[in-house]
Amino acid sequence: MSNLKPLIKSLQQYLRIGDWLVALISLACVIWLFQTLWSHEQAAKVQIRLGDKIYGTYSLNQQRDIHIHGSTGEAIISIANGQARFAQSPCKNQYCIHQGWLTLAGQVAVCLPNQIALELLGENKPYDSLNY
Amino acid sequence: MLRNAFFLLFFLLTSCAREPLYHSQSYVFGTLVDISIYGETDERARQLADHIQQDFQSLHNRLHAWKPISTGKPSELQQINAAFSQANQTIKISPDLAAIIADATVLSEKSNGLFNPAIGHLISSWGFQRDEFAVVNINEAEIKNLIHAQPRMTDIVIDNNTVYSKNPTVKLDLGGYAKGYALDTAANYLRKQGVKNALINIGGNVIALGKHGDATWRVGIQHPRQPTAIATIDLADGWAVGTSGDYQRYFMLGDKRYCHIIDPRTGYPAQDTQSVTVLVPPQAINQSQAGVLSDVTSKPIFIETPKNRKLAAAAFGIDDFMVIDANAQIFVSKKLAGKIHWLIPNVQFKAID
Amino acid sequence: MSRHLTHIKTTAEDHQVAKLAAIAITLHMVEALIPSPLPGVKPGIANIVTLYVLTQYGFATAAWVSILRVFASSLLLGQFLSPTFLLSLNGALLSLAVLWLASHLPKRYFSVISLSILAAFGHIAGQLIMVRLWLIPHAGISYLVPIFAASALFFGILNGLVTAKLLQQKNTNDSELDKKRASNS
Repeated sequence: MSNLKPLIKSLQQYLRIGDWLVALISLACVIWLFQTLWSHEQAAKVQIRLGDKIYGTYSLNQQRDIHIHGSTGEAIISIANGQARFAQSPCKNQYCIHQGWLTLAGQVAVCLPNQIALELLGENKPYDSLNY
Repeated sequence: MLRNAFFLLFFLLTSCAREPLYHSQSYVFGTLVDISIYGETDERARQLADHIQQDFQSLHNRLHAWKPISTGKPSELQQINAAFSQANQTIKISPDLAAIIADATVLSEKSNGLFNPAIGHLISSWGFQRDEFAVVNINEAEIKNLIHAQPRMTDIVIDNNTVYSKNPTVKLDLGGYAKGYALDTAANYLRKQGVKNALINIGGNVIALGKHGDATWRVGIQHPRQPTAIATIDLADGWAVGTSGDYQRYFMLGDKRYCHIIDPRTGYPAQDTQSVTVLVPPQAINQSQAGVLSDVTSKPIFIETPKNRKLAAAAFGIDDFMVIDANAQIFVSKKLAGKIHWLIPNVQFKAID
Repeated sequence: MSRHLTHIKTTAEDHQVAKLAAIAITLHMVEALIPSPLPGVKPGIANIVTLYVLTQYGFATAAWVSILRVFASSLLLGQFLSPTFLLSLNGALLSLAVLWLASHLPKRYFSVISLSILAAFGHIAGQLIMVRLWLIPHAGISYLVPIFAASALFFGILNGLVTAKLLQQKNTNDSELDKKRASNS
């Protein structure tokens, strides 16, 4: 802490108006980045089940497409921006795709014909099971 | 950095004490089946869950309205339907299926015919007796004929262990009954096995046994139009919850939605409602059980006109129910309003008193 | 021909720049040897030299020193043409581009500290772009981005302060030297 005082003194001595502007805008950017990319309210992982087995659990802090071969064909699961969804599915009705992006812990999307289920896992699951 | 470390520590600590919760998911009964068993060893829980899944699979095979068990081998229900297509043609029937038909008949009467498993032909002509649904060319004449023939559960006569139908247009489709029946079967099995705490979910229909440790089992209710839960409710021991919705089995024709819940009076899918959720308490032994009621009773409420919904629920003694109509307006019964936890902010709903 | 090659005249300025380039390379290598808690998070003290050269000798020289530093240190560290080298190069290039733009800012309001902060952000941006587009397309970098940004801001300010202090020191030395010359003559 003792080296903080000379640091503050240096800041006041050397920083010009424009510098303060640049520093503050940069600080705002850094804070914004932490808030959008590090928000813990969102779910942290997506669990993919194929049939009655867990196919895999993936972090939502990445951007990738996962190709899975279900019982009727290949499906593509997309992960991006802390969200997950069915991007492509061989099923006829495409209900799983219409579920759209899953964003909160506990949310589920299922492709019944292909037997693939997505569930977002987070710290606090709001319920034990979903009625629909 | 510090926050990150704190969360990591928290996870490590909480993951050390793993709760005795066994959870399995499988595709049986043509749908997703979720079994949670609390307080048993993993080994025992797996055995119990496997047994239940096998029971479900055999029930599914026997009661399937349109899929044969294998080529050339129709399900028991299909054989019965084949006999029904000839008026007064008798056929042997197993005791539990006879009991199901008897129970379904009582419930059909109670609902003034809005719950009618005998309209299999109508369901088929709307294309809902298939795995996946597509737009159907609506044949008005065919529909008129089908409702004119008035297939009813009361047309079926059970005599000892044979059955026949007086009306050849009766075709049984137990789609609105079978899942609830399976729930009751599973719950009874677990109770007999001495399991105190479990949660069973068959295609969205849920029944609860005991509790989740110290907390009551909590069930989310799907929003009819978004991939999120609109609310949660606590399900006490023996209670069941069921929802009928227009968002799982339907097709679009233009911008009109045609769902699988058909009004037997008009022959057309009900179009005034998006979803109906009912909560059913445990029932006395010699009556329809909670699981069956959670499946059956949501349909009449779904089909009924807005002013008669309350009566439709009262006919079955249902005090806890919620309706989301075609305009996304939410109605909640007084009793349920006090119990429901909304997950979306600023929910506007009307109380049904 | 050969006569011209052996008689290349170097000025005092060339010597000075060469010295500074050597310092930059040394700083970069020293920093490479110190382990950092997170991959890619480094103080970037060699940038002090880049900024110093920029203010004293202009952008072209600063660019030269910076690129030379990247090539030379990677050769000396045995990392030439490795992914580390590519990251370093890309970071340096984008950082220089940002510096070129930023050097047009009015010096009255924006000191070398602004240049340092902006260059630091340019540097991490260049590195992240390289990682994302080329090296590891599926990397979970979104988790690291805020950390990189915070470190760019922090060290950008620090390096800028150090450079400002050095420049001030140089100016006082120069003015003292001028005074001495003036009083001597």
